[in-house]
Amino acid sequence: MTGLGAGWRNLRRHPLRSALSIAGIAVASAMLLDMVLLSGGIERSFERLLLGRGFQIRISPKGTLPFDTEATLSNADRVVAALRADPDVAQAGGMLGASLYARTRDSLATLFGYGVDPAAQSLYTLLRGRDLTAGDTTGILLSEPAARAIHAALGDTVRIAGRLDPQMAHAGVNRPLAVRGIVRWLYDYRGQRSVGLTLLLMQRITDPAGGAAGGAAEARASAIVVRVRDGASVPAVAARLRARFPRLEVNSVAQLVEEFRGRLTYFRQLAYILGAISLLVAVLLIGTLLTITVNERLGEIATLRAIGVSRAHVVRQVLGEGATLTLLGGALGVLLGVVTAHYLDGILTSFPGLPAAISFFVPEPHALARAGIALVLAGSLAGLYPAWLAAAAPIAATLRAEAP
Amino acid sequence: MTAAAQLPGVAVERSLAQDLGLRVGDTLRLGPTPDSLRMHAVVAAVYEPAADPSTITRRERHLRLHLPALARLLGAPDRVDRFGVALDSGVTPARAAALLNRAAFGFRAYPSAQIASESSETFLVVSRFHRAIAVITTAAGAVFLLCIMLLKVEERRLDAAVMRFVGVRRRTIFAALLIEAAAIAVLGSLVGVAFAYVAGAATNAYYRRFFDTTLTFSLVTPGIVAFGVALSLALGLGAGAIAAWRLVRTRPLVLWGRG
Repeated sequence: MTGLGAGWRNLRRHPLRSALSIAGIAVASAMLLDMVLLSGGIERSFERLLLGRGFQIRISPKGTLPFDTEATLSNADRVVAALRADPDVAQAGGMLGASLYARTRDSLATLFGYGVDPAAQSLYTLLRGRDLTAGDTTGILLSEPAARAIHAALGDTVRIAGRLDPQMAHAGVNRPLAVRGIVRWLYDYRGQRSVGLTLLLMQRITDPAGGAAGGAAEARASAIVVRVRDGASVPAVAARLRARFPRLEVNSVAQLVEEFRGRLTYFRQLAYILGAISLLVAVLLIGTLLTITVNERLGEIATLRAIGVSRAHVVRQVLGEGATLTLLGGALGVLLGVVTAHYLDGILTSFPGLPAAISFFVPEPHALARAGIALVLAGSLAGLYPAWLAAAAPIAATLRAEAP
Repeated sequence: MTAAAQLPGVAVERSLAQDLGLRVGDTLRLGPTPDSLRMHAVVAAVYEPAADPSTITRRERHLRLHLPALARLLGAPDRVDRFGVALDSGVTPARAAALLNRAAFGFRAYPSAQIASESSETFLVVSRFHRAIAVITTAAGAVFLLCIMLLKVEERRLDAAVMRFVGVRRRTIFAALLIEAAAIAVLGSLVGVAFAYVAGAATNAYYRRFFDTTLTFSLVTPGIVAFGVALSLALGLGAGAIAAWRLVRTRPLVLWGRG
């Protein structure tokens, strides 16, 4: 009989205690799995989001991260032109974010406006209709929530207002724009009302100096995205751009993920602590159950040893029982863990202002493997003491003590 | 009057002052962008900001200027991000905000309570997450406790058999086992409470240092202690009762291992 077979047979002798132990290990394993997913899930999710459109470098005003503040880059067109001339840069484009207003029948709806370079944008994917083209100053892209808020559909004309002056009760700019497409903004939170215009139009509408009045608008951008040419090293290009533009903040996606990681230290540490506690609970449960079982069966073990059964066989039986407990509890724990991870993810992704595409619990094969290995190691560790107890039991003394 | 005395004064947050090595009386150059540091100002005060959970992970650094000085620095005179309105007694904030919003163009009025509620949304999410984690850990702890109590009572099989042989009534044995289970549960939970205090103090010390804040991260309240002890007692009594009931129903010879 294999170790696992013997373990299963021994567990069936005490169904209630075995069931309780398996339930305990299942809950602990579920918690361990969830914490392993949480410990690195959000970083992977964030990284995928940033790299979703293939741009590996972000440039923002010095001391800020993209869209973290209202600060903007001035002379962004010159920076973009310089970047495009760089031999290691495949693509570069600016983007500008600011509040815009849409006129509805009886009021103004507040929207978040993105100014984009349609040929080099990392902010949206087109759902319906068609994309903006370079130089399009009469078109607009809407998110689903924005379309609902202003009751607009593809082909409709919407009136967009900018540069509101509350004291004069006057909008500096009013523009009729045709809805070209419905898009999904990658960084929007749930229900965010966002619209997209070409960068040039957005600069005109929001230019505080009144560029729309006739003169050229200031070439402002909230951030610039850069796609590095195939074969070029992203960190090397980022370092070179940082040296070339010392008054700008140049970050590769890896650096942004590292910054994001710093902001979420609390969750990562909580995951490590709770994961460790889960493992400890599993070890204690398995260890306690096996120790008591071995103590109860000392007479049986001594008899087996007396008729020639080897120590190694006894040890295998005890370790097999521990492994059976771990496997059964772990299998149940995976199912429970997937359900609880989904539930916990639902709670955490309701953070205000968090992009809807972000997930905190990301199932990754290597994370699942890590949790499985940790659990198996913990189960084995827990079985060592009772196995030693069983192997070291003195045969004669035990048989005398157990005699009727 | 000295030149420094004529400069606008700024109050610098303690952590920023530390980062930049600033002291009261030092002169700064300020500007809205790195290439336009045109305004000179003097550090008039170093202040410790009120602990704010919403900013601790952002590691922002602040300094305060008088409004006209800031407007001059930004080149945006007579502009503000927001302003507060004190109401006459008897006017409800919600009604005043609704009136202002009907007449407003380009701004929106909110009652302070609404702003407080919306700005605390992040902490409500964290709180919901902590509660969910607490439910899972409580479930794990409950199963663990049930299991241990069951094993603990089953260890007393021989004692129970002997008591039955010498004529002790089942009810007495049941009560004795139940009291033992309750004692273990209460003692265990008291040790747990002590551990929670130590762990809470360590958590607070670590995160206060990590985030450079005076916020309290872990708080063991009398309500939490009462809940923990009551839950532990209920689980201990429940598990003890189940195990003791199984034990007293079993024939003494079987308990003795000869049945």
